[in-house]
Amino acid sequence: MKKTFSRKRKRFDGPLAIRYLLLICGLIVMVLPMVYMISSSLRPNNMTFSYPPKIIPAVGELTLANYQYVLFSQSFLRYISNTLYVAAVSTLLAAALSSLLAYCISRFTFLGRNLLFGTIITVMLIPGLVMIVPQFELAVRLKLVDNLWGVILFYTAWIMPFSTFLIKGFVDNIPSELDEAIYIDGGSIFTVYRTVILPMASPSIAAVSIFNFLFAFEELGWSQTILRMDRLRTLPVAITQFFQAHNRTDWGYVFAMTCLSMIPVIIIYIALQRYFISGLSTGAIKG
Amino acid sequence: MASGLLGKKKQNGIRILLMLLPGVAVLGMFTFYPIIKMVVMSFFNWKIGFNQVSPFVGLKNYITVFSDPIAGRSLVNTLYYAAITVPVQLILGLLVALLIHKITRFSVTFRLLYYLPVITSWVVVALLFRYIFSNEGLLNYLLCDVLRIVQEPVGWLSSRWTALTATTLLGIWKGIGWNMVIFLAALQAVPKQYYEAASIDGLGSAQQFFYITIPNIKGTILFALVMLMIGAFNTYTPIAVITGGNPAHQTDVVLTWMYSQTFDSLKMGYAAALSVIITCIVAAIAILLFTVIRPQKENIQG
Repeated sequence: MKKTFSRKRKRFDGPLAIRYLLLICGLIVMVLPMVYMISSSLRPNNMTFSYPPKIIPAVGELTLANYQYVLFSQSFLRYISNTLYVAAVSTLLAAALSSLLAYCISRFTFLGRNLLFGTIITVMLIPGLVMIVPQFELAVRLKLVDNLWGVILFYTAWIMPFSTFLIKGFVDNIPSELDEAIYIDGGSIFTVYRTVILPMASPSIAAVSIFNFLFAFEELGWSQTILRMDRLRTLPVAITQFFQAHNRTDWGYVFAMTCLSMIPVIIIYIALQRYFISGLSTGAIKG
Repeated sequence: MASGLLGKKKQNGIRILLMLLPGVAVLGMFTFYPIIKMVVMSFFNWKIGFNQVSPFVGLKNYITVFSDPIAGRSLVNTLYYAAITVPVQLILGLLVALLIHKITRFSVTFRLLYYLPVITSWVVVALLFRYIFSNEGLLNYLLCDVLRIVQEPVGWLSSRWTALTATTLLGIWKGIGWNMVIFLAALQAVPKQYYEAASIDGLGSAQQFFYITIPNIKGTILFALVMLMIGAFNTYTPIAVITGGNPAHQTDVVLTWMYSQTFDSLKMGYAAALSVIITCIVAAIAILLFTVIRPQKENIQG
C-alpha cells in the first residue's frame, strides 16, 4: 500500500490533478454563498446594502454588534429552545413509533398488514403541505393552534412514513434466528424488540432520526400556520417573521440569526456524520 | 399442546396489536384522516367556522381549478422547477460522486463541504439567495462590474422567469450534495472485478461508465429521481421566502398558490381540490418512472 503510494507520488498524475481541480472549482461555488453569509453577519447592519458588496470584509469593519442585538434584544434564545424542544420530542416519538411499526410489519402477518404498508408508502409520495387544509381544521378542533404540541404531533406523523419504510428495510435483513433464540429462552416478542431489533436496527434508526431532527429547523409552511404567538415560534418562523417585520432590509441581523441557527445543526452534523452516509445509502440501495 | 400453541398465538396477537396501536393512531389521526378529509372537502364549498354549513358543490371546485389561469401558471412554474432542478442536480451530483470516488486524499473533506448546503435550513439558504440575487447584490456586482457580461444590473426577482431561475439555481445548489452522497454509496457497491474485467477486454473509461456503472446504479437513479421529483413538487419555502409569489402571483408554485388560497382567500374547497390534483400528478409521475425504468433493469439482469 505504502509502496504504491510513494511510487505514484513521484510521477505527475494528470487525470488525478484534473479531478482535484474540478472538485475545488465546484467547492468554491458550493461554499462561497456560505462564506458570504458569515462575512455579512460580521459587518455593521447599515453596511450590508453598501455597493460594491464585499465577500471579505475589511478588518476595521468587523463587528459582533449584529450578534449582540439578536442575542440580547430579540428572543432568539427562546426561539432556539422552542426549536430544540420540538425537534427532540418529535424525533424521539417518531423513532419509537416507527421502529415498532417496522418490526411488526417486517416480522408478523396480521390482518391489514399489506394495506398498512401500502398506505405508508403511498403517503411518502404525497407532498406534506397539500394536507394543510384538513390538518389545520383538525388542529383548530383539537386546540393545537398556538401550541408547540400542534407542531410536534403533526411533524411526527409527517416524518413517520419514511422512517418506518427505511427501518423496515433494515429489520428485514436482521436474521430471524436471533428471534428464535429469544423465544427458546422464554422471551416474548417484546423481548425480541428490546434485545434484538432495537440494538441491531440502531444504525437505521439513528440515520432517520438525524433527518427528523433537522426537520424542525427547516419546516416553514406548517409551523407558521400553527404558531402565531411570538414566544412559541420556532427558528424558521421566527427568522422569516423577523425579516418581514424589519422591512426586508436588516440583513446584518438576519444573517447573525441564520448563522446562530446553524450552530446546533453543524454540531449534530459533524458529530454524527457517518450515520448520514450509512443511513441514506441503505435507503438508496434498497430503493 | 395444540391449545397451548393457540393460546400463545392469541397472546402474540394482542401484543402485536399493542405495538401497532400507537403508531397507527398517530398516522391515522394526523395523516390518513386528513387525506380522506381532503378528498371530501374538495367536493364542498368548505367553510372553516364551526357553525357554518358547507354546501355540496360536486365537481365545481375542480372545474374552477382547471379554468383558473393562476393555478395553471403555478403548475407550469412547478413543472419548470422540476424539469430543471431534477436532472441537473442528479447529473452534477453523480459527477461529483464520480470525481470523489477515485481520489484518495481529502475525500472526507470534500464530502463534508459539498454536503453542507443539504443540512442547511431552506429558510436560511432562501434568504441568502434573496440577498445574493437582489438588485445591488453579489451576483449583479459580479456580472456587471467584475465580469462585465451585462451592462445594467439584472432585476432578478422582479420578473417571472428570472426569479424562477434564481430559485432553480438555489434548488440545484442545495441538492447536489444529497445526490453525491447516495451515488457515492451506490458506486462503492459496484463490484471492482467488473471494471478489472472490462479493462482487460480493452474498454475505455467512457464505455465502462455506460456499460458497467450506469446499469449497476440504475436502482439508485430511480430512487433519486422519485425522491427529487417529490421534493420538487414539495417546493414551498424557497418561493415563499424569495419572491412570495410576487409580482402578482407570477412566480407562485402550486404549494404557495394553494397556501395563499387557503389562508388569504379562505377558499378551502378550492385548495383541497388543488391538493387532490397535485397528489394525483405526483403519483402519476412516480408510477411512470417506476414502469419506465424497472423493465430495463430486468432486461440487463436477465
